Amino acid sequence: MTEASVPRIARVRRLLDAARVLADPRTALGARARAELPAVSGLSAENVARALSEVLEVDATDGDLQRLLATVEDSPRTHVLLAANVFTAPLRAIALALAQSPRVDVRPSRREPLFTELLHEASHGAFRIVSELAPAPGDHVWAYGSDETLESVRGELPAGVVFHGHGSGFGVAVLELDDADAAQVTQLSAALARDVVVFDQRGCLSPRLVLVVGAEARARQFATELAAALARHHHDIPPGPLSSEEAALVSWYRDTFTYAAEAFPAGKGVVGFSPGGELTLPPVGRNVHVARLPDPVAPLEPWARAVTSVGLFGSEQLRVRLAGVVAGARLCAVGQQQRPPLDGPVDLRERTRREVL
Amino acid sequence: MNREEILSRSDALHERVQRFALANDGDSFDAIACDIARFQADAIPGYRRLADARGSLLDDASALPAVPTDAFRLTRVAVHDSADDVTRFVSSGTTAEARSVHALRRTDTLERLALSWGRKALVPHWPARRVVIALAPHPGAPATSSLGFMMRSFIASLDGRALAADPAGAAFDPDSSARWLASPQGLDAEGVRRAALVALERQEPLLVLATSFALVALLDGLGGERLRAPKNSVVMQTGGFKGRTRTVSPGALSSAIARAFGIDEARIVGEYGMTELSSQAYEGTLADAELSGPPSVYLPPPWLRIHSVDPVRLIRLPPGEVGLARFVDLANVDSAVCIVTKDLVREVDGGVELIGRSPGAPLRGCSLTLEQLLPGKAAGGAA
Repeated sequence: MTEASVPRIARVRRLLDAARVLADPRTALGARARAELPAVSGLSAENVARALSEVLEVDATDGDLQRLLATVEDSPRTHVLLAANVFTAPLRAIALALAQSPRVDVRPSRREPLFTELLHEASHGAFRIVSELAPAPGDHVWAYGSDETLESVRGELPAGVVFHGHGSGFGVAVLELDDADAAQVTQLSAALARDVVVFDQRGCLSPRLVLVVGAEARARQFATELAAALARHHHDIPPGPLSSEEAALVSWYRDTFTYAAEAFPAGKGVVGFSPGGELTLPPVGRNVHVARLPDPVAPLEPWARAVTSVGLFGSEQLRVRLAGVVAGARLCAVGQQQRPPLDGPVDLRERTRREVL
Repeated sequence: MNREEILSRSDALHERVQRFALANDGDSFDAIACDIARFQADAIPGYRRLADARGSLLDDASALPAVPTDAFRLTRVAVHDSADDVTRFVSSGTTAEARSVHALRRTDTLERLALSWGRKALVPHWPARRVVIALAPHPGAPATSSLGFMMRSFIASLDGRALAADPAGAAFDPDSSARWLASPQGLDAEGVRRAALVALERQEPLLVLATSFALVALLDGLGGERLRAPKNSVVMQTGGFKGRTRTVSPGALSSAIARAFGIDEARIVGEYGMTELSSQAYEGTLADAELSGPPSVYLPPPWLRIHSVDPVRLIRLPPGEVGLARFVDLANVDSAVCIVTKDLVREVDGGVELIGRSPGAPLRGCSLTLEQLLPGKAAGGAA
């Protein structure tokens, strides 16, 4: 059977099988991934191991895969340009491409090509790794990176290429704590901390801003318990090193909120707390800004186009209102923001839709 | 502290700063800075928290906890209650983000000190009089722009006469639209021409107080025309192009301004200040003025220290190394005596060079890694 005659879903499943090899620490490639990815990903060995075991989307259901297939159209050839911010991201990116075409060229991140190379090896060459992409009119290009990079890439593609750009973003959690008891607050803080820790907030799903509705004491309890949970993870899943620029931004954020409101130490990170509702986006690493607001929906509007994911604890009414504002963001339970089902692109925002150049 | 105690301590510190700055009374910069810092920590819970978090006893002026300028956007930075504000300076941010607000309880310290240092940088030894105009919008009453407030003080103190060839007997109006030649509607190039002619007829220099952006607008308005202006005119230039659609390199702008006014480039004097400060630094390029220094080096007055600090630990860097600008401004009695900004500076020759802004966009998300697609671009920036 030629590659072109392999059913679309079989191509995706073959890639998932390869991912399972990497997720399994007992396999040679799984062991190699755990040994070598910390150096190139900037994450600690513990964080890499956890991402491979718990976050890599190897448990997709048939329903998930059918939905994934439905999100893409056939293409003679598909090209994938990868970024290095989340090392597991190539799985979904390449799965989408294989769902679309039997001929997939992948240009990995130069800084972090390893996971793509391991996936290539484990899948016995289900796609090609290339150093430069050369799309022709009619081909599809999926590009991941900063908005500036995407704009640059888009501008240099030939006419007739179908472009899918996935750019900057971040995750938000929205919590209605009016009726939550102390135990629920503790559970929520622990769940959110897990999503903050994985990938050290370098991905576009990572929660960095929490909007709380409820009494100030409840909101403060959440912020302090989140800081404590992050501090605990500092020991069991240590953070990777920050660049000097990132460390400077953390220092700036910490001092700003120590003065302007409150800042709770959280390992090497910080949880800023604004009982008055001031909003800001903390730097990456393991930093979360918690703001208490009477209504979280309207203040979120100016940020909406950058929000890719919302972890929600609240009423159905709130969910509906949020969905109207952050259209395209994935809404899920708190603690599930880093584990979206493998049912299509991770980023569903309007501005990521396909575009024929 | 109750209100009376706050006002009493504040007034005593204002008087002390003015004596130190204007009368050189032998007091110590370090001692005054630490006393102001202790006063602010007693009156402002946020500064007490910052000092505690830094483990500072507020007894070392070189290690006072610095308030990030973002705090002025997010909260009130003042020892006193808002009911005692006489004005609030608001930054000229052009984005949707909140603007910095600097609340002042009294403005005399700021005004006297600004004039004192401004004279040394902008006023030649001779002649004694000059014509002063501002390429800026009128700051309002009370002024909501720290720069506009300073410009108005300069107009009143360094000129103080009607804008006419023969000002004798004519009423002086510092708020006249003939003085404030920029507005949201544009720049009044004809007003600049008129003021330049007045200066020529009086045989006095023209002192133009302007933002960089307004100067670009003036050049656009003149369309290559050379103004008829006195050769000993001076241009005070301040600010960059944050959020503006058109930018011009500093060198090209200086050349074009000098050409338009028919003056030497050394007579374009850079000013470095901001809403969150009460004091300013200047280039010392004007040969016949008191302040002397090389181009691009901003010289602070004796009551202001500007240091380049490590962005993480905020400790002072050796001269020549680029870091964040950390200010100790004794004139900030009622707000934050020590602030840190995202401006990047390098300490040189008794002053600082302004290098740019610290990188770090508000939204980062998946923007950490840049990839390149097409042949020919790959070598530029690997991810």
